[in-house]
Amino acid sequence: MEWVEAVGRTVDEAVAEAMNALGESSKDAVDVEIVEEAKKGFLGIGGQDARVKVTLKPKKRQRRRRGGRNRDRRNTEGQGDRAPKAKSGGGQGNRSKQQSKSKNGSKNRRQKPQQGSGGSGAKKVAVDKKPEEKADIEEQAQVAKEFAVGLLKAFGVDGDVVTKVEDEILFIDINGEQTEALVGRKGAVVQAVHELTRTVIQRKTFGAPRMRLDIAGYGARRREALKIYATRLAETVVEDGREAMLEPMNAADRKVVHDAISEIDGVRSFSEGEDPNRSVVVAPS
Amino acid sequence: MEQGEIVEKVVRYVTEQIVDDASSVEVEVISDGEDSVVAEVRTAKKDMGRVIGRRGRVARAIRSVARAGGDEEGLDVQVEFLD
Repeated sequence: MEWVEAVGRTVDEAVAEAMNALGESSKDAVDVEIVEEAKKGFLGIGGQDARVKVTLKPKKRQRRRRGGRNRDRRNTEGQGDRAPKAKSGGGQGNRSKQQSKSKNGSKNRRQKPQQGSGGSGAKKVAVDKKPEEKADIEEQAQVAKEFAVGLLKAFGVDGDVVTKVEDEILFIDINGEQTEALVGRKGAVVQAVHELTRTVIQRKTFGAPRMRLDIAGYGARRREALKIYATRLAETVVEDGREAMLEPMNAADRKVVHDAISEIDGVRSFSEGEDPNRSVVVAPS
Repeated sequence: MEQGEIVEKVVRYVTEQIVDDASSVEVEVISDGEDSVVAEVRTAKKDMGRVIGRRGRVARAIRSVARAGGDEEGLDVQVEFLD
């Protein structure tokens, strides 16, 4: 699901901002959640902007097309009652810092495959920054593709899996009208499939490459919305001269924000807090 | 289609892809007769660490796709890893 958070002097302004960022003009197509009401200051001092979270309703299909393909992605009805069970269970809580680092920060980090019954000894991560001894990334792409195709089949869902390798990064795109069901709340299932694909690659080949995995264009849409949101937030920060903190997000999303901010003069960004509550702060530079 | 069939297929497929000894993987989906199921996963002992992963990452991912499978059937899903 696609959403953005935005601020404005009034709730209406904030909503307009968010809808703009989402590229959506119909209020019927979005849900609005007011995170903070605006407070009037005194002579313009001490006021507080309104903060809203605007989510595209799942009914509404995006206009976005990938690669010129014009699939009519019908809505996957019949799963409307997923919200209550999407609660992120206990799992989320014990995310560690290390994980998040390894998720994003490490280039070409190789992991020794865990051999057989080994457990303890195999845990050490061998860091090999030189991309010389490449585990064959084309082979890894093949493994990823086979895994994803099998996964779709297990779900009983039709879809295409396309892989490509660019700059040593393995891109895996899973598309098809029914694959929307594999996105999950805030892309949780996309992340899970990513994790599993990496695990399978690691098991079947030597190490795992850097990967981008996307399902039903979710990541692409989300990155785009995030980028726009970050850019607008940066403008506000420049105007107000005040820092702004975004809501917590994972390392990949934070990188999107950092990258967007780095292209804008007058602002800088950094992250604060511990995963899973690590957040990007945009500050005047 | 039997209740929990997608959940079973998805959990089994993913687990088998991750372990060394795929023939020892057992997945049993137990229904409470209403709209929730428990998937019990058993693997060879040496493979359990792999299925759970560092800090439970892999297990969490398996739970997540299992829930997505359950969504397809309108089921609440729990996954338990047993040895």
